[in-house]
Amino acid sequence: MERLLQIVNTILENRGKNIVDDINPDTNLRNDLGFDSLDLAELTVRIEAEYDVDIFEDGVVMTIGDITKKIM
Amino acid sequence: MVQKLFFVDKRENIYKSYEDLYSDIKQSRSYNKYCFEHSYYEIFKRIVLSLILDKEIILLDSDFSISEVEKLIEDSSLIERSEEKIDLSNYSFDLERILKGTQLHNWRITLFTSGTTGLPKRISHTFASITRQVKKSGNHINDIWGFAYNPTHMAGLQVFFQALLNCNTIIRIFSYSREEIYTLIEEYGITNISATPTFYRLLLPVEKSYGSVVRLTSGGEKFDARTQYNLLTAFPNAKLINVYASTEAGTLFAAKGDVFQIKQGMENLFKIVGSELYIHRDLVGFSDSIKLQGDWYPTGDLISVVSECPFTFKFISRKNEMINVGGYKVNPHEVEDMIRSYPGVSDVVVYAKRNSILGNIICCNIVSESVLLKEKDIRLYLSQRLQEFKIPRIIKFVDKLEVTRTGKITRDRL
Repeated sequence: MERLLQIVNTILENRGKNIVDDINPDTNLRNDLGFDSLDLAELTVRIEAEYDVDIFEDGVVMTIGDITKKIM
Repeated sequence: MVQKLFFVDKRENIYKSYEDLYSDIKQSRSYNKYCFEHSYYEIFKRIVLSLILDKEIILLDSDFSISEVEKLIEDSSLIERSEEKIDLSNYSFDLERILKGTQLHNWRITLFTSGTTGLPKRISHTFASITRQVKKSGNHINDIWGFAYNPTHMAGLQVFFQALLNCNTIIRIFSYSREEIYTLIEEYGITNISATPTFYRLLLPVEKSYGSVVRLTSGGEKFDARTQYNLLTAFPNAKLINVYASTEAGTLFAAKGDVFQIKQGMENLFKIVGSELYIHRDLVGFSDSIKLQGDWYPTGDLISVVSECPFTFKFISRKNEMINVGGYKVNPHEVEDMIRSYPGVSDVVVYAKRNSILGNIICCNIVSESVLLKEKDIRLYLSQRLQEFKIPRIIKFVDKLEVTRTGKITRDRL
């Protein structure tokens, strides 16, 4: 979760947005983190580079919990 | 008829009937051929006004920076200086007559597309060429359009003219959240949506189905089978049509699935050289920056022939290096030029990373002259000069750029 938080904050910071202190399985990528499609695309590339998993491959990823399920 | 709803932009609180449109236009006291507007309604209104006046209109993306605009039109003060006074107070509206197009002599619409040499191409279309694919008939009179494109781009204009010529209602859904879009589809009974596969992908997953939608059109990038399948579950009454369209020529072919067919009678307007698709100049808008070869325009699209008779084919890829980010074309050379202009950057290569959301995102490797070069400062610099989707999402600092054996910078193997 710590590494995922770092990735999320890198994306937020690069867009000039406020970083977050913590994330949990229920954190919604669009609604809570304010991610748009470019952010989501960046997220999937960064996670794939790190974990070798394409988290959006089957299309349904709404929350941090959806991601952790795929990379664990 | 004129009471009919013309355009809704719920977030901007704009609800305009055709009558409102006419009365807003009548009150216009000036006309400027450079349209550099943020509001979709203002852009649509300006286009209709240009048709009434039979004057050229030049569309600039509202998110162009001043330096981008200056590259395109040389002097941004031209925008201010092009303002001219008009008086339509005694004008009696006859949109039907105008939209026949027969009385338009000077009108043309100019827009800018991402070019291959760093500078966007300027493309102009006549009324005939921009409305070539518009289907106007009684069948379309009750269409209600979900507007899912940028209004200053070719695809958005094609939807706009299709809707306008049939006196349809247009509901903006572009850059709205999924929840807002579904609410609008239900509230207004949207029947037609034309959007990129990326737009559709972001509409999914969906919990219920929406019966009002009867036609989904898509184009601009490859449409994966899974998204298509899921979309048809969400919109069980919809037909899904793929189109091939370009800023140079507008919509040329439609396909079910990914196999395109050239319409009967149009065979002579296309040819294949190598595996590249060429289209005849009669189908292309006019532009100094379009390089014709004799009467033919090489599209840069590589295709493979499926059958000879009737002539059908599939698209394989682009010949050049444009990077497709969710349907928006990014020219890596343009982004590289901009990054290179930042002090302390000695070299840079821009490349794509594939992903299943937008197709690609932009990344770059930078060779810096100084350890003082900060990613944050480069981002700030770029954000003032480039549209958001062109700015690299992942910036790496490297000691040197990989080159091929012939000494060229490679984008492919990064």
